[in-house]
Amino acid sequence: MSPFDLVIKYWLALAAGIVAGILPRGEFPARRRVALGLITALTVLSVQWLWPVEGAAAEATADEWPHLLNVLIGMPILGAVGVLFIPRQMLSLVRGFTLVVLGVGFVVSLALLTVPMTPGWHFQFIKDWIPSLGIRWHVAVDGISLWLILLTTFIGPIAAYASFGSIKTQVKELCFCLLLLQGAMLGAFVALDLFLFFVFWELMLVPMYVMIGIWGGAEKIKAALKLFIYTMTGSMLMLAAMVYLAWTHQRLTGVWSFDYLALSQVVLSRPAQMMCFWAFSIAFFIKVPMWPVHTWLPDAHVQAPTGGSIILAAVMLKIGTYAYLRFSMGLFPGPASSLAANLAGVAILGGIIYGALVAWKQADVKRLVAYSSVAHLGFVMLGLFGVTPTGIQGAVLQMVNHGISTGALFLLVGVIYDRRHTRLISEFGGIAKVMPIYTALFVLVTFSSIGVPGTNGFVGEFMIIMGTFTSERLGTFAGIHTIGASAGVILAAVYMLSAVQRVFFGPLTHPKNKGLSDISPREMVAIAPLVLMIFVLGMFPSIFLDRMKDSVAMAYDQFKTVSGQAILFADEQQAKLLPADTFSPAFLKGAPGVKEEGEPEAPPEAGDEGVQGAAPTRRDGVLADRGGDR
Amino acid sequence: MEALRTLFPASDFTLLAAILALPALGALVNGLFGKRLGKEGVRLMALAALGGSFLASVLTYLLLPAEGKLTWTAWRWISIQGRMGQSIPIDVAFSVDALSGTMMLVITGVGFLIHLYSSEYMKNDPGFHRFFAYLNLFCFAMLTLVMGDNLAMLFVGWEGVGLCSYLLIGFWYGEDKNAAAGKKAFIVNRIGDFGLLVAMALIVYYVGTLRFDGIQSGASSLLQNVKIWPIGNMSSGTLPGFLHFLLPEQPVTILAATAVGLMVFLGCAGKSAQIPLYIWLPDAMAGPTPVSALIHAATMVTAGVYLVARLSAVFVLSPAALAVVAVTGALTALLAATIGLFQNDLKKVLAYSTVSQLGYMFIGVGVGAFAAGFFHVFTHAFFKACLFLGAGSVIHAIHVRIHDTDRSQDMGNMGGLKAYMPITRWTYLIACFAIAGLPILGSGFWSKDEILWKAFTVDIMAVSAPGVSQWMWPSWLGRAIYWAGVTGAVFTSFYMFRSYFRTFHGEFRGWKIDPTWKDPGHGHGHDDHGHDDHHEEHGEITGPVPHESPLPMTIPLMVLAAFSIGAGFLVAEPIHVAPLAHKLEPVFALSSRAIRQREGTEGLLFPMMLPGIAAFLAGTVGAMVVYQNRRGEPERRFATMFPRLHRLIYDKWRIDELYDATVVGMVDALADIFTIADKWIVDGILAKFTAALVGFFGTVLRAFQTGRVQVYAAAMVLGLVGVGWFMVKPHADATVNDEALRRSGEVKLSAAPGLGYSYRWDTPGVSETTFAKTTEHTVKLDPGETKDVTLRVRNAWGSESSETFTLTRPAGGRRGATEPGALPAPQPPTLPTGTIPAERIPDLIQPKGLQ
Repeated sequence: MSPFDLVIKYWLALAAGIVAGILPRGEFPARRRVALGLITALTVLSVQWLWPVEGAAAEATADEWPHLLNVLIGMPILGAVGVLFIPRQMLSLVRGFTLVVLGVGFVVSLALLTVPMTPGWHFQFIKDWIPSLGIRWHVAVDGISLWLILLTTFIGPIAAYASFGSIKTQVKELCFCLLLLQGAMLGAFVALDLFLFFVFWELMLVPMYVMIGIWGGAEKIKAALKLFIYTMTGSMLMLAAMVYLAWTHQRLTGVWSFDYLALSQVVLSRPAQMMCFWAFSIAFFIKVPMWPVHTWLPDAHVQAPTGGSIILAAVMLKIGTYAYLRFSMGLFPGPASSLAANLAGVAILGGIIYGALVAWKQADVKRLVAYSSVAHLGFVMLGLFGVTPTGIQGAVLQMVNHGISTGALFLLVGVIYDRRHTRLISEFGGIAKVMPIYTALFVLVTFSSIGVPGTNGFVGEFMIIMGTFTSERLGTFAGIHTIGASAGVILAAVYMLSAVQRVFFGPLTHPKNKGLSDISPREMVAIAPLVLMIFVLGMFPSIFLDRMKDSVAMAYDQFKTVSGQAILFADEQQAKLLPADTFSPAFLKGAPGVKEEGEPEAPPEAGDEGVQGAAPTRRDGVLADRGGDR
Repeated sequence: MEALRTLFPASDFTLLAAILALPALGALVNGLFGKRLGKEGVRLMALAALGGSFLASVLTYLLLPAEGKLTWTAWRWISIQGRMGQSIPIDVAFSVDALSGTMMLVITGVGFLIHLYSSEYMKNDPGFHRFFAYLNLFCFAMLTLVMGDNLAMLFVGWEGVGLCSYLLIGFWYGEDKNAAAGKKAFIVNRIGDFGLLVAMALIVYYVGTLRFDGIQSGASSLLQNVKIWPIGNMSSGTLPGFLHFLLPEQPVTILAATAVGLMVFLGCAGKSAQIPLYIWLPDAMAGPTPVSALIHAATMVTAGVYLVARLSAVFVLSPAALAVVAVTGALTALLAATIGLFQNDLKKVLAYSTVSQLGYMFIGVGVGAFAAGFFHVFTHAFFKACLFLGAGSVIHAIHVRIHDTDRSQDMGNMGGLKAYMPITRWTYLIACFAIAGLPILGSGFWSKDEILWKAFTVDIMAVSAPGVSQWMWPSWLGRAIYWAGVTGAVFTSFYMFRSYFRTFHGEFRGWKIDPTWKDPGHGHGHDDHGHDDHHEEHGEITGPVPHESPLPMTIPLMVLAAFSIGAGFLVAEPIHVAPLAHKLEPVFALSSRAIRQREGTEGLLFPMMLPGIAAFLAGTVGAMVVYQNRRGEPERRFATMFPRLHRLIYDKWRIDELYDATVVGMVDALADIFTIADKWIVDGILAKFTAALVGFFGTVLRAFQTGRVQVYAAAMVLGLVGVGWFMVKPHADATVNDEALRRSGEVKLSAAPGLGYSYRWDTPGVSETTFAKTTEHTVKLDPGETKDVTLRVRNAWGSESSETFTLTRPAGGRRGATEPGALPAPQPPTLPTGTIPAERIPDLIQPKGLQ
């Protein structure tokens, strides 16, 4: 193809790139202009590339390179190790290396999009890890985790780039933390083995703890400790439930396994179901965070450095919502179904409304954004609790949306903090006069955050509200929930616009604000991809929804059948195993082979070793280590 | 024409893309590159964008088919699932019929004139490019609103215009007042948007589509009852007793159509400034005057009327919703008109007049006269835009010397301008005649009287459906609305002519005119809104001769004034000159079936115009007498005679204060409570309290770790004493084995062993006297029998302890004895093999407490 043809074909991207390149006025380094142009052109290109083509979905089952996910997880973790060998004096090398690793990670993760996201698992990779306990390295993506992985790899370089602007001390340690965190978060999104998930879940806590503890604000230690203890409390509950579940599975089948697919088939006795559901869910609710376990979040955000806040808000919180969707709803559909209306009530009153009202009264911009996160994630959780295909799609989309909008907000708050070293709203006022571009960007991101149509925030909220009203799980509450959630839309405007008014508009009175410089080229490059994504998501959401809808439909169907089965099946005393044909074969692909016996005959009492008639076949390297399973 | 029809087929009418894309492009270019383009470039871009869009709209209008629509689908936006699991696609799709086509003409046509006007009015503003970017963006959003093919696309435009309105009201953001007004507008609009969101959810649920075509054809599925109270799972079982008064005998239900209608109308009330959400519009006058003309008079605020007309198929199903719309409209028309009577700020007068006129439009659509309501939108766009632009022209002239925004709009500083600004004066007068309803010539006469006539004669048929009872309009309601409208019309013509006479007649009160006066040096333009003004000397100031505005400002005035007269003849139903009405007929053909003319009113068409004409005359002549002949003396007299009433009306009935004290105050207090609770209760219990608890235990336990041998020894002794005491005290306990209870009535009890224990079993009737070492004891029960068995334990020291077990053997069937009515069929007398359900055993055998 001649260069001329290329120009013809990609004129839109080219034009967009050129426009973005010449957009900034005044002295603006050529390097940054090129970067801006490239970012814009590539965004347009990717929209073109991902544009849904009718009927082309089923053809071409491209080869899935099984190691892709290993590379995605491994690269940042190995990179983190690699950083340790770079002398700390070579600042630009350390930074450059980190950015390259994270950037390459993003590029590699784009390969996930080359495969049509049919129901079931993709890029699955399974390897025994601790065979005596049936623990495996089992990673895979589906249409739901796909977008969260891309969000992670997308936010990672931006957060790192933003951090390097403001953090000048102990850069090497910072890079180590960023890379390790990135690897752990990616791992948590793709792990399908509960034990593996738990490892990543805990692993990502450490770098975040360190990041807040070292580069944080005045009360950094307290905030870091609070974050750690809160999360840890949940983790311990989850671990206990996880072990109980695996042990039950072992009792029923004779094989130890922590595999999500295998454990999905276990139906616990009714009280145990409820206990395990809460143990898992409390861990996730703390992470989300949901009322009333949300108070660690504002503290952590206020104290965290900009980069940490971005990652925390944009990605880490999503692990809680994602894990609720994947694990709580997948493993315990019974309680998730019967508690749906109550939990949705908490999400609305405690999240959407309470979060918004408290956000309104905050004096610190970062605290305000933190509480707005509580409100936004209330929407996400509402979408999940309602369990409708529309609601779940909206919730997943809203996770991505929140990552982008709130990430951008924290980035922008960081900009002003770097200049004034304060975030108190009362310290500002009228700075639109001295920082017009910054103001324009902030107002734009604000509107995305409060969900004005055309920006990303609206699509998710709209789908969640529509899903809520049509939800069966919420039953008679669906109407009142819809009204409550919609009322949150009003409050979002109240708190965000009040803050915008007090910070940017009105007379410029504070003398320190008179000399503020507008957004710098470097900051502009950092924020550009987020701003572009705001519009891409808002205007072309079907790019995202098309790739997740099959997976969501599968998750929804499975939830519907399994929750029905679980309610029918469960009794007060004994755990049971669902027959494999309850699940779609696409879901069970790669499950450890424990499903050969026909009737799930109720096994005898606890502790009995006599169950082992259920001869487990040895597949995928699972060692049926009977008798000596201790 | 035919060539165009083939070029743009009705189902893929790509011309719509051009209509939308041009303003969007203008906004983008002006917003991003405005500063570099320079003012001329920005003006050219903005005007070309709107002009092109206008021409394309005209073309579209000409190509409109008699029936059906022109549609264009851009791309698939989202797809959601309905109640039945059916897929509901929501596309970025646009369509045009006569209703939206007319709106498009108004938006782009009036929009173009106002762009032209602004290019002069805003000439010296440093935010020139920003202003035109917003204005173009607004036109884009407004076009999206009217052209959207489904409710979701309409909502995109709906919020988009709200956003632009926010940006434009707060355009001079340097003053807190303006920024606050913008915020208020946005938030109040959001309250309306909340209603629209809920309405969309209801429509998705009941109708299963958001396309307007689909809603129209599927509207009958809204004829179902919706339970609105009690909410959730409220019932006598779940509520505490003292709240039972909340539970009605019968669940309160309303028709789904009514619910949708009311929720949609909440949205319309927000956007179109109706009671109770009208409070933002007068504040919105903080924006530049052309903005007030375009957004807050001609186009955006009429979006609510457009929406009701668009969803007419839903509204006609519910007489109750229509009644709410019409009554709200009438009340708003009256209330706003009274407030307009005493305002001194020229723009405020026009703002309240807009609110009041919007009320008339809602009367129109509320009595089912959708076409009539829409005609008023159409005529109002011209004369109100003309009035606002005229006011802007006056303010522009006053602004030469008085830079303070509020004072330059005060009618106290105007007067006598007819000599200096003839074009402005004449166009303003024509528009005043139009709004006041000068018979035949004023376009407001035709549209307003049509509305009032329809209100007078309305008779709404309830569409019936099985199991649904409809609320019906009482016969007096239509007539009451008619008379309210006529009363409002008196006020309208009075306050309009009051503003006219105070502005253009009498003495000029702004400053002392000195023809040789020169602006002392610094090029003071419009850019200093918000700056402290340094030439505001108190007392008498001098200034130049007030000047007529330049051509780019007067041309729009003249065009709009011409339309203020001419538009009436597009809609003059009574004299059968109504081309627009014929164009619109098919749009409302279906909906109008439920609307009848009341019997006995056939010949009253012309007689019933007389009250309207009388109202016009009364208001006009009254204003002329008061303000022209007597220089406002009666108003001052009124103010001294009823100072409090005058003050109350001047303060807008203090509705804002009422809201602040109630709704806003409550939410504010709630937020304060939550914030405090969050800090001290939620965080207090979960974080601070647990931390304190852990700390407390740490402190307590640390106290034991003293390292002194005496302490440890004392602890050891204490422990030993405890163990010893446990040994000395006997513990009676037994395990009950009732496997054979059903079969043979035998229950085996085995006592728990202990050091040196001996046991005695006391059963009623059989009483052992001695303690023995046997731990086992068997009791035999007859069916239905209950026995108390007491175990006595004595230990080596002779202390005793006892425990009583109550054993019951059920008689025959499982529940037969206790719940005779529970099972209809008699149970066989005995059950096969020990099948007592596991959960019932604990009920049968209960320990009766320890001794």
